[in-house]
Formats: sequence, structure tokens, C-alpha cells
Amino acid sequence: MSDRKITIEYNDKVVRQFMLASLIWGAVGMLVGVLIAAQLNFWQLNFDTSWLTWSRLRPLHTNAVIFALVGNMMFAGIYYSTQRLVKARMASDFLSALHFWGWQAIIVSAAVTLPFGFTRGKEYAELIWPINIAVALIWVVFAVNFFWTLARRREPSLYVAIWFYISTIITITVLYVVNHLSIPTSLTHSYPVFAGVQDGLVQWWYGHNAVAFFLTTPILGIMYYFLPKAAERPVYSYRLSVIHFWSLVFLYIWAGPHHLLNTALPGWLQNLGMTFSLMLWAPSWGGMLNGLLTLRGAWHKLRTDPVLKFFAAAVTFYGMATFEGPLLSIKSVSALGHYTDWIIGHVHAGALGWNGFMAAGMIYWMLPRLWSKPLHSVPLANLHFWIGTVGILLYVAAMWVSGITQGLMLNATTDNGTVLAYPNFLDTLNTIRPLMLMRVIGGTLYFTGWLLMAYNVWQTVRGSVTVNGTIEVFDEEPSHEEPKSMSLLGAFLNPPVLFIIFGGLFACAWMFGGNFVSIAGLVGGIICCVLAYAHYESRGKAWGDWYNRLLVNTLPFTVLTFLAIVAGGMIQIIPTVVAHNATSNEDRKQIPYTPLELAGRDLYVRDGCYLCHSQMIRTLVPDVLRYGDYSRLGESIYDHPYQWGSKRNGPDLARVGGKYPNVWHVRHMEDPRSISVGSNMPSFPWLISNQLDTSTLTTKISVQRTLGVPYPNWTPEQIAANVDKQAKAIAADLKTAGSLIAPDKEIIALVAYLQQLGHYESTPVAKPTGAP
Amino acid sequence: MFKRLILEDSAAIFTLFAFITAVTIFVAITWRALRMKTPQLTRFENLPFAPETPAARHDTDA
Repeated sequence: MSDRKITIEYNDKVVRQFMLASLIWGAVGMLVGVLIAAQLNFWQLNFDTSWLTWSRLRPLHTNAVIFALVGNMMFAGIYYSTQRLVKARMASDFLSALHFWGWQAIIVSAAVTLPFGFTRGKEYAELIWPINIAVALIWVVFAVNFFWTLARRREPSLYVAIWFYISTIITITVLYVVNHLSIPTSLTHSYPVFAGVQDGLVQWWYGHNAVAFFLTTPILGIMYYFLPKAAERPVYSYRLSVIHFWSLVFLYIWAGPHHLLNTALPGWLQNLGMTFSLMLWAPSWGGMLNGLLTLRGAWHKLRTDPVLKFFAAAVTFYGMATFEGPLLSIKSVSALGHYTDWIIGHVHAGALGWNGFMAAGMIYWMLPRLWSKPLHSVPLANLHFWIGTVGILLYVAAMWVSGITQGLMLNATTDNGTVLAYPNFLDTLNTIRPLMLMRVIGGTLYFTGWLLMAYNVWQTVRGSVTVNGTIEVFDEEPSHEEPKSMSLLGAFLNPPVLFIIFGGLFACAWMFGGNFVSIAGLVGGIICCVLAYAHYESRGKAWGDWYNRLLVNTLPFTVLTFLAIVAGGMIQIIPTVVAHNATSNEDRKQIPYTPLELAGRDLYVRDGCYLCHSQMIRTLVPDVLRYGDYSRLGESIYDHPYQWGSKRNGPDLARVGGKYPNVWHVRHMEDPRSISVGSNMPSFPWLISNQLDTSTLTTKISVQRTLGVPYPNWTPEQIAANVDKQAKAIAADLKTAGSLIAPDKEIIALVAYLQQLGHYESTPVAKPTGAP
Repeated sequence: MFKRLILEDSAAIFTLFAFITAVTIFVAITWRALRMKTPQLTRFENLPFAPETPAARHDTDA
């Protein structure tokens, strides 16, 4: 072993770049957030302009905060801490630069396309398919650079923060790819391969775990690195961090169905999502307590150190949000809170409190170290903290009260539960208006705090010189223990893993096999458990050695983490895919849209109607009283993408078809307040003037056929004739009602779509397997 | 008024199977973590505190 020392210079340039990008894009995301919050109070702020309309800006806000603010902050933290934890410079400066500039290009293209209505129509997965491919490629660049760096590391052990980063990289890869599987119909449009309940399940498997593995696990890794550094003491319990990691990674992936409680999602999946969400309380709070207790003996520093203030508050908000999440996942609580502002409050406690404050703490900590200059103004940073905290509390408290008020009013009934107490949806809206205004004030305060930080950063950076961290290491690092290498095969060919694999196989045979196979599975499972126990008792050291070797071997560790997260996804998605067929539709089946209705549906998606209007009447009495018969699984079987929604700023539309005449919809879209006095819905005048683009309908219907929608093999001429016939009929009806609209306008297609909602084909009731 | 058919009743057992699997993994990991030796823990928890050298090269690229 050589004792020659060498000096490693970290690539801190990319850290600085990501940090500043997070600061700038964060300001953009928050500005848009404040604007759309204000639009809900003052509809005039939509300016009757398509690209400034609430429903097009809302995806811009969410994508900017998630992928631009948190994404850039996360990359800064990962690049900074990883290099120092593994004592190695990032493997490739080129890949680091490509990652940074590629990610910024993606953000810019999202900022351009979303306001213009180019969207896939799935929350947090709105970006169109060419951008999806770019995201996947840049993510691979990041992954290659990261794992390459791990392969060149001079520190054999992997600190727990690195575990969290590994889980982030592999899980986001799986989630992103599966939820973005689509077939393009043009350069800017595609249909997801999943439909109806499948699409809903995959969407929230992705959506919930984007929260888990994009907004939580990397930030936890950052917490486990930066919090001890700022507090100048090790993490409170490394044991607890190990339990925190494995239980969180394993449990989180199962919890997605809690976004679909009381819907047409099969009951066993709802129970699965609720059970695992409740179990998440344990690891989340374990991690939160581990973070707070790391500050033991350092609490006095909070009075003066803004970094610790931000970290302590962030971890506290993490605890609050992760208490609230499982609470909202209880079916009866979800019946009250789902589709209301309560969810918005919950999300922002996490985004503003946990992510935003962790970002601020990390930026304030890294700033003097990366620019070799003290922070310009500590009092200004403290002011940022207090303004931000007051802003979050105003925002979150307003949304809690607003959400619970909405839930109580919309669910309230009289006359022994047979009549709605507040039948007019607008009664609820007018009640919560002051709270919506308070949200604007809270958001503005938080945004102001962010701008103070930007000013503080600018003043610190101005006139300073950038510095890159360095460390002296031995050319061949002497280790406290001999590195224990493990091949990929060795990760599996060992007693603990083999017993788990055989145990799982026997359990499956027991549960799903026929008579003989089932008995054999049960006997085999019992024998497997007994042998595992006996082996552990006699050769326990081998089990421990395997685990200890796993902690210093990246590839086997990554593969096992991958299996942990894939298990949760497969066990939900595969049975749902199998069950999603024409015989499992309860007693109803969707009628495929006519070409004009399909074109109208694409407009509905383009203008983000799903962001305010659900199409899912839950199995709850008030829902049925208000909107009609509860939605069946089969009624959205051909919906690519599904449109069940997640928020009701306006009423559910699942059965709006035929409820009002055509002219009602035209006037409502042109000026909602002329129909519903007091409504805060934006006007959509461009639908009246824009000409409907039918040029891609042939391709769209062809893609729908490929996806399994039973369309006839129409020629382009037949499709055009079909569109023409239905459009002229609607235009004629409108003319009779006094509204002169040409048949080739977009509004005609949208009316055709809306009037079709709630129509279905009755089918024989399928019997459960084994039913008499 | 409300009926929700379970058309794939065999799938219902997944909930139970998933719960048992999760609890097993949780218990196993907890047991493993509790048995970690103190020197190993000390080494792991001090990894963020590897001293950086004061010398840092300046650059002008940010």
C-alpha cells in the first residue's frame, strides 16, 4: 500500500450552478404560485388569455417548484455531499456540465410548452413526450456520473445519505419511465398506454412516489449530511437512520392508492394503500426525531444561526406533513378532505416548510464555503426565516380551515341524509373566499422571504472569488477494515436472500396454487421458516457478514434497493392490469368517443379542466346526492389519460352530459359568471374563436385503436364526415337557441365531449370468481 | 344503494401478504441495526466530518 498523499479538488462549480439555478427557478415557481392563488380570488387576473389562464399556469407552478426548485437544490446537495462523503471528485466534469445544462434546457422547454397547452394531462407528468425523453436521458447522465463516482471512491463505506441518493436515482427512473409510457400522435401530443383505473393507479403510484423519492428521500440524504455538519455533531442515532432508510424505501412505494380512496379503484387496493400509508408514520417520525435530536446540545445556536433555524423548522414541518399524510389516508378522513383545499395545505406544508426551508438552510450553509466570503447579512437571513415561517403558517392554516369547511359543507345533508344542506356548489366557494385571500398573503410573504435570500446571496457573491473544496487522501486510502468485495451474484447466493426468495415462492404457491400446490406451498413455507431460524441460530455470523459487506458494495446494494421498491409497484399494478378488462367493469362499459368528442376531450385536457373538475363520483352519499350515481370502473375503461381528477375547485363532471342544453355550455365557457353568479372560473373565449384542428384525428384514432379502444377501421374521409355531421347538428341546435357558432370552432367539439359524459353501455353484472 | 363488486377476490390476499412482508422486513432491519457494533457506528456517523484541507484552488467560473 502506498503512503503517497494526493490532493483531490472537488467539482464545486456544478454545485454553485445548481444552487443558483434553484434560487432563480424557485423565485419563478413561487411568483407563478402567488399569481394563480390570486386568480382564484380575482378571476380578472386570468386576462381572458389562454396562456395566462389558471389551468395552464398551475402545471407550470407545480413543475417549477418540484423539478426546478427542488430538483436543482437536490442536485446541488447531492453533488456537494457525495464528493465529500466518498472522498472523490465527480467522475466526469463533462457529464456534470451536461447534467446541469440539460436540466435547465428541460425547465425552459417546460416553461414554454405548458402555458401554450402542450400537456399529457397527468398531474406532475404533464410534459410532452419529447421532453420526457430528454428528462430520461439527462437522468441517466446524472446516474452514470453518480455511480461512476461511487466506483472511484476512496472511502469504502457508504454513509446513509448515499443510500438515500441511490434509492432516489433508481426509483425515479422506474416511476418516470412507467408513468410516461405513451404513443405519440404528433410531435407535441401523445396518449398514455394506460387507461381508466390502470392509468389512475399508475399515475398515483408515480405521483405519490414523486413526493417520496424526489421531494423526500434526496432531501433526507441532504438532512443526514448537512444537519450534523451545521450542528457540528454526528447524527443522533445511526441505527435509527438505517431503520429509517429501509423501512421508508420499502413502505413508501405501496401507498399511492390512498389518492384514490372511495373511488372505483378495487377495494383491496384501497385497503393496501391505506394500510401502508398508516405504517409510514413509524419511519417518517423516526427520521424526523433523528433529525431534531441531532440538535441535542446545540439548541442554543438556533438563536443566532439562521442555518440551524431553517433546518430545525424544516424537519419539524417534515414531521407535521408526514403525520398529516397518513391521517388523510384513512378512508373516512379522505371522504372529508379529498378534493378540497386541505390537500393543498398538506402539500404546501411539505413543499414550503420541508423542501423550501431545507433548501434555504443548505444554501445559507454552502454559500460562504463556495464563495470564500462570509454571508452578507445574518440579520437578513433571520428576517427571511421569520417572514417565511409566518407565510407558511398563514398559508397552511388558511388551507386547513378552507379544506375542512369545504368538506363539511359539500358533505352536509339534512332530512336524515336524503337532502344536501348546501346544494349550490358556489355556497362553498363564497364561504372560503376570505381563506383563499389569506393564502395569497401567506404565499406572498414566503415569496418575499425567498427574494430576501436572493438579495443576500447576490450581495455575498458580488466581488467574491469562487473556491473549490479540496481534501488530501492517500493515493491508496488505508482502510480501517479490509474492503470486503461482493459480486452481484454474491449478493443473492447467500442464506438470508435465498431463504427470503424460497419463502416468497412457497407463500405464492400457498396463496395462488390449486389444492395440491397450495398444500405444498404451505408445508414448504413452514419448512423454509424453520430452516431459516435454525440456520440463523447456528450461522448467525454469516448473515451479519453478508449485511456488512452489502454496505460497502454499491452494485449489490443498488440492486437490492431496486427490488425493494419494485416489489411494491408490481404487486399493485400487475393484478390491476390483469383485472382491467371488459369482464371486470362492474355493470357498465364506456362507449368510445366519436371523433368530434375525442377532439373535444383533447381540448378539455389541453386547457387543464381536470385540474378543477373531477370525473369520479365516489361511493359516498353526498357525492351521489350532488352529482348522480357513483362512478363504475368500466365507465372510464377507454380514457387515455384517465380524468378522475384530484381537486374540486368546481363541481364533478362525471354525469354532466345531458344535464344542461348545448347553449348553456357555450355561454358558460364564454363567461361563467353570466350563468353562475359569483363563479371564479376563468373565461375561455378563445374556444369560441379558435378553429378546431382535425388534421391529426386520423392518427389519434389509429393510436387509440392500437391501445385497445374498439374504433372501427375508419378512413380519413369517414372520420371527417363523422365530425362534420355531429358538429353541424350541435351548431344547428345552438342556432335554434340563439347562439351563432360555426361548426368548425373548438367550442363545438368541447360541447360534444361534455354532453357525452355519463353515457355508458349497460353490461351483464360480472360475478366474482367462485361465486355461485 | 352502494355495491362494490370484488371481481378479483384472489387479489384481496395481496393486502395481507404485503403487510406480513413489510412487517418482516421492518423487524429484520431493526434487529440488524440494533446489533451493529459501536466502532462500526462511530465510523459511519463520523463520515461527514472528514477534515477538508484548508487549501482551496480559486476559480472564476461561477
